[in-house]
Amino acid sequence: MIAYNKIWLTNLRLQEDVKEKLNGGYITSEEFKDIKDKYPVGFYTPGPFARIGLFILTLIVISFADGILSLLFASASNLIETSGWMFFLAILSYIALEVMVSSKHHYRSGVDDALLFISGLLSCVASAMLFSHYNVVYFVPVFAVIFILSLYFSIRFADMLMAALCCASLLAFVYFGWTKVIPIGMMTIPFIIMLISGGMYWISYSFNRQKRFIDYHNCFIVAQLIFLLGLYAAGNYYIAQTLGNDGIGQTPKPVPFGPFFWLWTIALPFVYLGWGIFKKDTILLRIGLVLIAAAIATFRYYYHVLPLDMALTIGGALILGIAYVVMKFLKTPQYGFTYAEPDTEHAMDRLKVESLIVAEAFAKVPSAPAEHQDKFGGGDFGGGGSSSSY
Amino acid sequence: MDNLYENLHADGLISNESFEKVKQRSDLFSVHWEIKTLLYLGVLLLTSGLALLIYENIDTIGHQFVLALIALICIGCFGYCFKTSLPFNSGKVKSPNTSFDYILLLGSISLLTFIGYLQFEYKVFGTNYNLATLIPMIVLFFTAYYFDHLGILNMAIANLAVWMGVSVTPKSLLLNTTFDSQTIIYTYLALGIILLAGAYLTQRFNLKKHFKFSYQHYGVHVTFISLLAGYFFYYNSALAMLWMLMLSAVAWLIFRDAFKNHSFYFLLLVVLYSYVAISSLVVRVMMLAEDEGALYLTMLYFIGSAIGLIFLLINLNKKIKAS
Repeated sequence: MIAYNKIWLTNLRLQEDVKEKLNGGYITSEEFKDIKDKYPVGFYTPGPFARIGLFILTLIVISFADGILSLLFASASNLIETSGWMFFLAILSYIALEVMVSSKHHYRSGVDDALLFISGLLSCVASAMLFSHYNVVYFVPVFAVIFILSLYFSIRFADMLMAALCCASLLAFVYFGWTKVIPIGMMTIPFIIMLISGGMYWISYSFNRQKRFIDYHNCFIVAQLIFLLGLYAAGNYYIAQTLGNDGIGQTPKPVPFGPFFWLWTIALPFVYLGWGIFKKDTILLRIGLVLIAAAIATFRYYYHVLPLDMALTIGGALILGIAYVVMKFLKTPQYGFTYAEPDTEHAMDRLKVESLIVAEAFAKVPSAPAEHQDKFGGGDFGGGGSSSSY
Repeated sequence: MDNLYENLHADGLISNESFEKVKQRSDLFSVHWEIKTLLYLGVLLLTSGLALLIYENIDTIGHQFVLALIALICIGCFGYCFKTSLPFNSGKVKSPNTSFDYILLLGSISLLTFIGYLQFEYKVFGTNYNLATLIPMIVLFFTAYYFDHLGILNMAIANLAVWMGVSVTPKSLLLNTTFDSQTIIYTYLALGIILLAGAYLTQRFNLKKHFKFSYQHYGVHVTFISLLAGYFFYYNSALAMLWMLMLSAVAWLIFRDAFKNHSFYFLLLVVLYSYVAISSLVVRVMMLAEDEGALYLTMLYFIGSAIGLIFLLINLNKKIKAS
C-alpha cells in the first residue's frame, strides 16, 4: 500500500500536533525536544524553499535524461513516437521514485514530488497517445486509464496532486461515458454528475474521519474540494447552457428545467457556507465563499442589474460591512468560533506573501509610463483597477 | 490522537503543569484567514468601484464634489490612523487593532486616487510627470515607515519603479517587459542596486529591520534579471563578460548575506540564477563546436550539473539549519 514508513508518518503527525501546542505556548520547548526524540521521524523533508529548488532541479535532470535516451534511439526507428516509449520513460521515473523513497527516505522533498509528477504526466500522455487515432481521441478509455493510474499513485504515495487528478478523471470518465452510451445523455448528464459528485463527496468525507485512512487525510481533503466543485458546476446555469449547445455560434438555447438550475446556481453556495459554519468545516466554508462570487458572476452574465462601477462599490462596502460585523461579534469567542490567529505556523509567512499580494493587487500601474505618457500622466492612479488601461 | 497527551503525560514526557494547560485549551474554530481575505477583497472592490465610478461619471457629477468625496475618505482614514496608532518606533510596531491595517490601506489608495485625479483634471503638476509619480511614492514610503505597514511598503517599492519608468510587480515583470533597450536594462539595474542597498542599510542602521525582506526580495530578482538581460543584450561584444563578472560579484555578496541571516529563500535564488548564468556560458561554448557530440555533451552537462546542485542544496540546507 503506502510507500512511506507508516510509523514515521504517525510520528510526524504527532510531532506536528505537538509543535502546534508549542507555538500556542502550552508546552515548553524542552518537552517538545523530548517528545521529538522519543518519536523520531526518519524522512528527508527539507523546508518549502528547498523543496521548490529540488523539484526544479529534478525536473531538469529527468527531462534531459529522457531527452538523451530518446535521442539515442531516435535514429534506430520511429520507436520514440509510440505510446510504448512514453510508458517506458514513465516506468523509468517510477522506478527512480521508488528507489528514492525506499532507500533515501525522501518524503515531500521535491525530489519525490518531481519524479511522481513526471511519472504521472508521462503516463497520462502515453494513454492519450494509445487511445487516439489520427485526430480522434477516444476520451472514455483515456480517462479510464488515467483514473486507474492516478488512483494507484494516490494510494501508493498519498499525494494531493495525484488525488486531484484521480477525482477529476473520474468525473471526466463519467461525463464522456454517459453522454456516449446513453441516447439522451446530454439532457441527463448534469444530474448524473451531481449524483456522482455528491456520493463521492460523502464517501471522502466519511473516509476522512476513519482512523484506518488517516495517512490519506490530505488526499481526502482534495477529493472533498473537487467533488464539491463538481457538484456545484454540474448545476450551474451557465455551464449547463454551454454544454447543452453542441454547435458553436448558435444562439444559446434556454436550458430545460431552467428554474431548477437557477435555484442550484444561487442557493447551493449559501448551503455550503451555512453547512460549513454549522459543521465547522473549513473546506465547505471556503468553497462556499468562493462560489458565492461564482454565483454572482453567473447572475450578472445574464442580467445586467447594475453597472459595473456601482456593483463593485456596493459589493465592496457590503463585504467590508459584513467582515466588520463578524469581527465585532467574534471579539470574544462565540459558539466555538474565534477571530484569533490559529497556532499553526504558515510556511508562507516567511515569504511575507500577504504584502506581496497587496503590491500586486493594489499597485496596478502601467509599465514604463515614461514612454507612453497618456492623458493620465503615467499611471499615477495607484488605486486598484483605475490604471490608464481603462 | 484523542488521548495523545494523556499518553505523553503518563510517559512523563510532559509535565503536570503543561498537561493542565493543554487540557484547559478549548478547541476553537478560527475564521482568521477568511475574514482577512474578505477585508482585502472589500478594500479592493470598493477602491476599484469608486475609481471607476468617478472615471465614468466625470461629466455628470461635479469635479469638486468628486474631489471632496475622495478627500473626505482619505482624511477620515488617515485621521483615524493618526489618532489610534501607537507611537513611532524604529523596531516593529504592532497595529492597535485588526481593522487598522485595512483602514490605512484604504486611506493610502484613496490618497493616490486623489493625487491622480488632481493631475488628470487640473494638471497641478503640469507636464512634469516625474513629480506626479514622485509625490505618491514619497507619501507611500512615509506611510509605510510611520505606521509600520508592510503591504504599503511593497506598494511604495512598486511606485519607486514606476517613478523610474519600469515595473516590478511579478506579473508585469514577467509578462509585459521586454529587455530590448539599453535604457530599460540600465534602469532595472539601477533599481535593483538601490533596492539591495536599501536592504543593506535597513539592517545596518536597524531601522525597521523586518522591512529588509521586501527590499531584498524585489532587489535580488530585479538585479539578477537585468544582469542576465545585459549579458544577452551585449552577447556578441566583449562587454558581455563584464556583465557576467558583475553577476558573480552580486551573487557572492547575496550568498554571504543569505548565509549569515539563515535565509534559505535567498540562497536558493542565488543558486538558481547563477546556474542559469553558468549554463548559458556552457551552452555558448558547446555551440561553438557545431557537432552532434557537443549536443550530447550539453545534455550530459545538464544532467550532471543538476544532480550536483541537488546535493549542494541538500548540503546548504543542512548547514543553514545547523548554524
